[in-house]
Amino acid sequence: MSQFLMYLTNGIVIGVIHAISAIGVSLIVGIMKVVNFAHGELYIFAGYFSYHLTTTLGIPPLLAMPLSVFFIFLIGIGMERTLIRPTYGDEMYSLIITFVLSIVLQNAALLIFGPYPNKPPNLVTGATKIFGLYHYGNQRLLSFFISIAILLFIFYLIKKTWFGKSIRAVSQDRGMSSLVGVDPFRVNMLSFGLGAALAGAAGVVIAPIFPVTPTGSSAVSLTAFVVVVLGGMGSLKGCVVGGLLLGVIENFCAAYISTMYRSIYGFIILILILVFRPWGLFGQKS
Amino acid sequence: MKRFFILGLVLGFLMVGTWAWAADTAKIGVVGPRTGPAAATGKAFEEGIALALDTINAKGGVLGKPLEVIFEDTGGVPEKAASAFERLATREKVPMVVGESHSSSALAEIEKANLYKVPFIICEAWHDDITKKNYKWVFRAGPANSGVVDFYIAPFVKDSGFKKVAIVRENSDWGVGIAERTEMDLKNYGIPFVTLKVEGSSKDFYTELTKIKSENPDIILAYIYGTGLHFFVAQANEVGLSPHCLILDGAGPPSLWPEFWKNAGAAGELELFMSSMHEKVHLTPMSRKFWDDYKKKYGKDPTDYKVRSIYNVILIAADAINRAKSTDNEAIVAALEKTNLEVTTGTVKFGLKPGTYEYHQWMPPMLVVQWQDQKQAVVYPKEAATGTLKRGK
Repeated sequence: MSQFLMYLTNGIVIGVIHAISAIGVSLIVGIMKVVNFAHGELYIFAGYFSYHLTTTLGIPPLLAMPLSVFFIFLIGIGMERTLIRPTYGDEMYSLIITFVLSIVLQNAALLIFGPYPNKPPNLVTGATKIFGLYHYGNQRLLSFFISIAILLFIFYLIKKTWFGKSIRAVSQDRGMSSLVGVDPFRVNMLSFGLGAALAGAAGVVIAPIFPVTPTGSSAVSLTAFVVVVLGGMGSLKGCVVGGLLLGVIENFCAAYISTMYRSIYGFIILILILVFRPWGLFGQKS
Repeated sequence: MKRFFILGLVLGFLMVGTWAWAADTAKIGVVGPRTGPAAATGKAFEEGIALALDTINAKGGVLGKPLEVIFEDTGGVPEKAASAFERLATREKVPMVVGESHSSSALAEIEKANLYKVPFIICEAWHDDITKKNYKWVFRAGPANSGVVDFYIAPFVKDSGFKKVAIVRENSDWGVGIAERTEMDLKNYGIPFVTLKVEGSSKDFYTELTKIKSENPDIILAYIYGTGLHFFVAQANEVGLSPHCLILDGAGPPSLWPEFWKNAGAAGELELFMSSMHEKVHLTPMSRKFWDDYKKKYGKDPTDYKVRSIYNVILIAADAINRAKSTDNEAIVAALEKTNLEVTTGTVKFGLKPGTYEYHQWMPPMLVVQWQDQKQAVVYPKEAATGTLKRGK
């Protein structure tokens, strides 16, 4: 029983980690119809920023984390202004540009930060005995709760604030929203920045558990795309459910079938979804 | 007319210049991962190459010319490795190639070595088949899975009195090969074990560790290469498995990477790892020279023993070409077969009896090292020990 509960706990924690890694991709796809292939690299850069701000510059981790996210937000804004904006209306161009950018950033990370894995210091250490049955790492539990807080904040921002309403308006009808006084270029720029910042937030929250490496970005992007397709392109709710589903399935299949093909289980579910429900669990059938 | 004359002069100068430049140095090729998950090995190789070139060129180089190395990146991917080797053999036309640290890449490269008849000395790819195929052009001056397990890992487990073993192996050629050999030896010793197969690229091992915990082993033989090893060690401690159950890193270098302590934290204490290098264990005068040269050049102690492995094979290559007195492939192979050279880990003599993995193989002595108060203590074999094995509570 304790083993089963351990697998379930880990599935949920990893699921939320998958969700926060993917929500930035979902947001940008949903609003701007742009697939950001450089998402994983922004995650990795945030992890490295957080590491260097704390260990090289001696900034407290709790300050280094939002600072790193802010830097990634600025990079996101810069990317939108220089690379993405000229491609509006042609999804293929933006796809190619972000793909090329991902390769450039990956190599830049290797050049700047070196090949070794790095992680910012843990905010907490040790493990907690859950239900008196099994030990679970405290840093994982903390990252799990921070991720939930970030997800709740994003839902609030999109659903309840004026900024969120403008984002939804632009995503539904660009022309009409500009007629009622919403500047779609500004909204797109901030949305892309927000999506990038979410990649950064995932990076700084998860890096203390899974150290970042320059080449680790591909796996981050791949998992994010699997989650987004599972949940439905552009659906934030679907992103959370897709992440949880992936995390729990991976863990149970690894535990009860084989540990050797952990990442394959997620792809099997993805194929099944693409065959029977190609618009995803919460996406809209076009 | 004047223009043609100047153009001819420039072209002539360029041709002579190219010829002069090409003839100015002797070249050999190196293959290894400079990018990808094991890019740290590439960095270790770069350091070892620089030191070896300093040593060789200070003594007059190769065939009277300074030695130059062309280092091709394999990315740790077999297809890329095969192309890298092909490029060295056909475009660069090097008379000899050395290096490699991934078994899967080496298995692809030896086919190219055999195809193009280019002598190839492998330093850190451990799969038995690399030399077991008995290719005339392929040599290994480094550990082989069978040697590491038969002479070090399995006897260490037996002599230390471990009661139950968990073997955790990644799904790579090295992981599969070394785990199978370990299973065979443990069966012969009558030591119970369980084997768990994991993905080499995995980051989260909680599920695997929970399964291992239920088996209650007192040592885990972790055949996982790269950052995954750091995750594994840290997470084993979080789930309450280590240090009560010790972990032996069957490869070694990841436990010596500069970031090991940052990533594994306190969980790194009492971890064991395989190594062929220790600051207090110097088997030859060359070993001491290497240590001093490294410290002088880089201002720190060497950590990754792959720096020394590539250093050794470049020395062996230079010695063979000098003794062959030419860059002819047949002459180089003949010289390699007669190698009797002292390097940092002993005196190299390649096995010549065909039929087993020991053909064209020279195995350096290995050490089982344990992190004790963040310092390396050699705990096995006993004749090289600088400390005693500590067990966790």
